Amino acid sequence: MRLFAFALAKILRFLTRLRGGGSALPGFFLLRLLPHALERSLGTLPLGVIFVTGSNGKSTTTSMLTGILRAHGLRVFSNPAGGNLPQGLASALVGSATLCGKVAADIAVLEVDEAYGPQISDLVTPDWVVVTNIQVDQLNRFGEPEAVYRLLATLGMKAKVGVVVNGSDPNTTALGAQLHAAGSRVEQMRVSAPAQASASHGLVSAPMFFDSPPLLAVAAGVVITAVEGSHTSVEVAGVAASIVLPQKGLHYAVDAGLALEMASVVVDNFQLERAVMALENNATVYGRGETIRYRGVDIALTMMKNLPSLQVNLDAFSSPLENVFIAVDEGTPDPSWIFDADTSSLASVSILSGSKAWQWALLLEHRGIPYGEIIEDSRAGLDAFVKRVPAQNGPLHAIVNYEQMMLIRRIAGYKELEGA
Amino acid sequence: MGSFTFARLLPEMLGLNGSSQNASILASYLNHGGHDVKILDIHSSGDAPLQVDAVCVGSGSASSLLPAATSIISLVSAISRWRSAGALVMAVGTGWDLLGHTVTTPEGEVLPGAGIFASHADHRGTRFSGEVTGIDHQGRASAGYVNQVGAIALEAGASALMSVDDAVLGYPRSEGLVGENLFATRLGGPALALNPHWCQDLAQALLEPRGEKLHRTEFHERIDHAATRARRLIDARLGVVRN
Repeated sequence: MRLFAFALAKILRFLTRLRGGGSALPGFFLLRLLPHALERSLGTLPLGVIFVTGSNGKSTTTSMLTGILRAHGLRVFSNPAGGNLPQGLASALVGSATLCGKVAADIAVLEVDEAYGPQISDLVTPDWVVVTNIQVDQLNRFGEPEAVYRLLATLGMKAKVGVVVNGSDPNTTALGAQLHAAGSRVEQMRVSAPAQASASHGLVSAPMFFDSPPLLAVAAGVVITAVEGSHTSVEVAGVAASIVLPQKGLHYAVDAGLALEMASVVVDNFQLERAVMALENNATVYGRGETIRYRGVDIALTMMKNLPSLQVNLDAFSSPLENVFIAVDEGTPDPSWIFDADTSSLASVSILSGSKAWQWALLLEHRGIPYGEIIEDSRAGLDAFVKRVPAQNGPLHAIVNYEQMMLIRRIAGYKELEGA
Repeated sequence: MGSFTFARLLPEMLGLNGSSQNASILASYLNHGGHDVKILDIHSSGDAPLQVDAVCVGSGSASSLLPAATSIISLVSAISRWRSAGALVMAVGTGWDLLGHTVTTPEGEVLPGAGIFASHADHRGTRFSGEVTGIDHQGRASAGYVNQVGAIALEAGASALMSVDDAVLGYPRSEGLVGENLFATRLGGPALALNPHWCQDLAQALLEPRGEKLHRTEFHERIDHAATRARRLIDARLGVVRN
């Protein structure tokens, strides 16, 4: 049955890739035929399974951690960015496993959707869970940040060895304290006050109102001491290091800090110099700060999943952006949060696109930010954008939601699908 | 042209998802008509000035309910003083719940509200999250996004802000509350941005006692147009066709 299931899933994968992209379909079928496939293939890896979850930064932290582990000579199984639901994980397994379901890896690092974490932990039990943050995210889906806290607490309790938290996010600190009090091993990464102050809006944690301030009585293994642009200073077990990350911004530094914390715990012979080199050479994760080329014009994609992701990205720009392309569609059912964003780093918008473009226009009107045309159709909007916006130093900028990021990449001829 | 002072209550607790930005939107609407507006964020009774022209309060999440209820109680005398002097009160979601007569928590505890709105909130029900469209109390197309738990009941004699279209499934047919210098809605986030006709009503309510009228500009025409287009897309997503 195992052989048959993997063979069928691999054929499906081959067929779906023929049409120029990937799909979660092979994973879906694999899990239908072999519900324990993930546990059987990954549960026996010598260094175990790490889940990376939280509101934002999952993809980048997963990518950074994978890079650090590989730099230490470890063979790492991971899922592509965004393929963080059960069928996405299983599809990644179909791509990497033999027909017998064997994976040539020492450790698995899996990006896991925060809502599906408990369900995925039933399919493969994590040894470690890394929790990046809890921010105001997808309220249409979660209702309120407290729901995410509860989901992550449920997942954290299932970790066989322990949990790594962002000890400067009050919510994940509370989560760590709760798990620590329940007997779990908890490790934390912290961000110094000066480093937090490097971004106008700091870590943009979700506001939650606890009965008493949570205390996590665990020493931080990694401390981010300073951030300036893409330059990040860290201390790992008291040893200082400087890193030039491929992307600017406090949020990337936090992702790097979490990756360092987790790696320093699981790697026996952890070497900071190797880790720093891996972080500096880490490739940009799909759609997050990625620059694509369309009709001969370079366009840097900034993804806005939610208020924190929009805000930290806007904060990371060193000068106000002009002639920006903004596209939002049904993938953001309730864009109300845009009215909470500090848009002072947005000087002007060239084209507004997508089915929620008019709601963005209302924000820009009330903020007094000039904008050009509203073209609901994304392809037509993108065409108008590259035609009308004059050349400038560096790429043009597009601020888009996840679905528009995927669509624009396809329009620009980037065929591979995230999570494929 | 006059100037106005708005009190924005507890924005750190009751400002989820753009809901406390309605104060800024109304301020912007008045600014473009030539009026100055100062927004004061009120965190405790110590911040409360003697008089304000409007009181604005947004929505919050589950863990904000009890601390916000406690803080609102400490502000009741200030709110009553402002109301007695004719201040307009605009509330969204949890803020409306807490300015009503009572709020029943998910655990069944009944908390006293500020008693400004003739309504009773009950957080024991399920959550509704989705777009809502309908016709307001003056027959104007109105729409927005509701993401709220439980239900709110109006007392006899209180008037609803809008009637919700039958195409909106799982949500009561009436939404919001309007009264003399009172405006409340469960439409989350920037309800006033999507419905500038409500801005017009509120601006008029502020200006009339001073014998003034809003001077409409191109800005007002542009936001009317953008909001109409945005609402039509909401209608289209819900399958509603209006004449």
